[in-house]
Amino acid sequence: MLLLSGTLPVEDSSLIFGTIKYDGKSISLGDKYIPKELGSIGAMAMMAASATAAEALGIEAPMGVVAGDMGQGAGSAALYAYLTEQAGALGATAVTMHYILPIRKPFMEFTEMLDYWKKRPFMIADAGSMLIAKATGACRKFDLFTPDAGEICFLADPQAGHPAYVKSMLFEIDTTEVPKLIEKAYAAGNAPRYLLIKGPTDFIVDDGKIMYTISEPNIPALEPIGGTGDTITGMVSALISGGYEPIRACVIAGRANRLAGQMSNPTPATQVFEIVKHIGEAVRKVADTS
Amino acid sequence: MSSPHKRTDQYGLSRSLFLFELFRDAMRAEHVLKRAGFDTKAGAPPPEVRTGCDIAMSVPSNQVNSAEKVLLADGIPILDVVFASEGDLPPLQVSKLVKKVDFGPYLMIRIGNMKLTFEKASGVIVNISGGGCPDIPLLALRMIGQPLDKAVSPNELGFTLCAYTLQKAYEAALQAWRKMK
Repeated sequence: MLLLSGTLPVEDSSLIFGTIKYDGKSISLGDKYIPKELGSIGAMAMMAASATAAEALGIEAPMGVVAGDMGQGAGSAALYAYLTEQAGALGATAVTMHYILPIRKPFMEFTEMLDYWKKRPFMIADAGSMLIAKATGACRKFDLFTPDAGEICFLADPQAGHPAYVKSMLFEIDTTEVPKLIEKAYAAGNAPRYLLIKGPTDFIVDDGKIMYTISEPNIPALEPIGGTGDTITGMVSALISGGYEPIRACVIAGRANRLAGQMSNPTPATQVFEIVKHIGEAVRKVADTS
Repeated sequence: MSSPHKRTDQYGLSRSLFLFELFRDAMRAEHVLKRAGFDTKAGAPPPEVRTGCDIAMSVPSNQVNSAEKVLLADGIPILDVVFASEGDLPPLQVSKLVKKVDFGPYLMIRIGNMKLTFEKASGVIVNISGGGCPDIPLLALRMIGQPLDKAVSPNELGFTLCAYTLQKAYEAALQAWRKMK
């Protein structure tokens, strides 16, 4: 079973937990419907894509845990507490951490608690959870990161505490010399075993070795669309929880995201929910041929 | 909170760093300290206390007590004070981390990990992408669909360094659009 965690941009920091259901229009966790305007941004885009991919491939529906947080940390603190104190009893085989405010102490408590889980889950991080993993030296406690260009140059820069501190010489090459950045990230211990780097070309990496690159179909209009990285993270999480070998899961997620993007005939103004609509069909097609 | 009781520059620790729980408090602190005439510098906190989305403000160590009083008088909560040498405070690089991608009718501005795309003709923000902190989805929700000159600015709603980076992308987009008009 997969557990996806992240925040919602609302004030109420109460936890919402349950099986994720997405019907193509609205998303719910257990019996709680998420307001429609929140249903396709940030962690919700990830959860919608994950639930869609799981359903398409006959994988157990993912569970989700979210809390409201507008950037001040209350909801994130509630999520860390849940992950530390309660999530271990769920028996999740994979856990994905997404838009959560980096808070040092509770994050470290959670990653230490993982050692006491009956079976260690496959740990995936994206967004703010990658920032705090690097800041606390915990990258190797994770199994997969899904960075984009701005994030891979951040992982490659040992001094940078955030992508805003990255040396400009690394920023300049973040889409043109990705292999060099991969080498630096692993050399500094700032990468988990697997990386799925999202960009004009996707790079799939196992312990520093580039296993696959994905460049086709090339759809430049996907780059500005908020949430297209979140959908990859959601898909790859579902696939891994469904027993797909991690490298194959990364390949399928990377290809399916591009195919779903192509099916939506996007412009830079397209919203990610237009792409999520096609993820079921795309992931099924790609999984059959990859 | 720790307070220095003696000069630390004899150990090469010539700067004192104020740490804050919220990025927004750090930004207020910078404003308050500069207004009060302190030699203030902003930069990444030391690795052992870093969260990944934060910033510290430093003043010369021989001014730390008076700077602390100024901050507290202004109601700015200080998480901690640590000492560092002059070179220990990596500065923000956002002014150097700018890329523009032209999509014909649309222009995308990328600063660091934040992307903001607007329609050239109308100035309407059509997409915001990237970032890792919880205020970014909120800002996307509020800003997408709004013209650049009428949209809420990330500084007004954001609390994090990701929001600060988006603010810089927003300012660059506004400037680029005004040049086009």
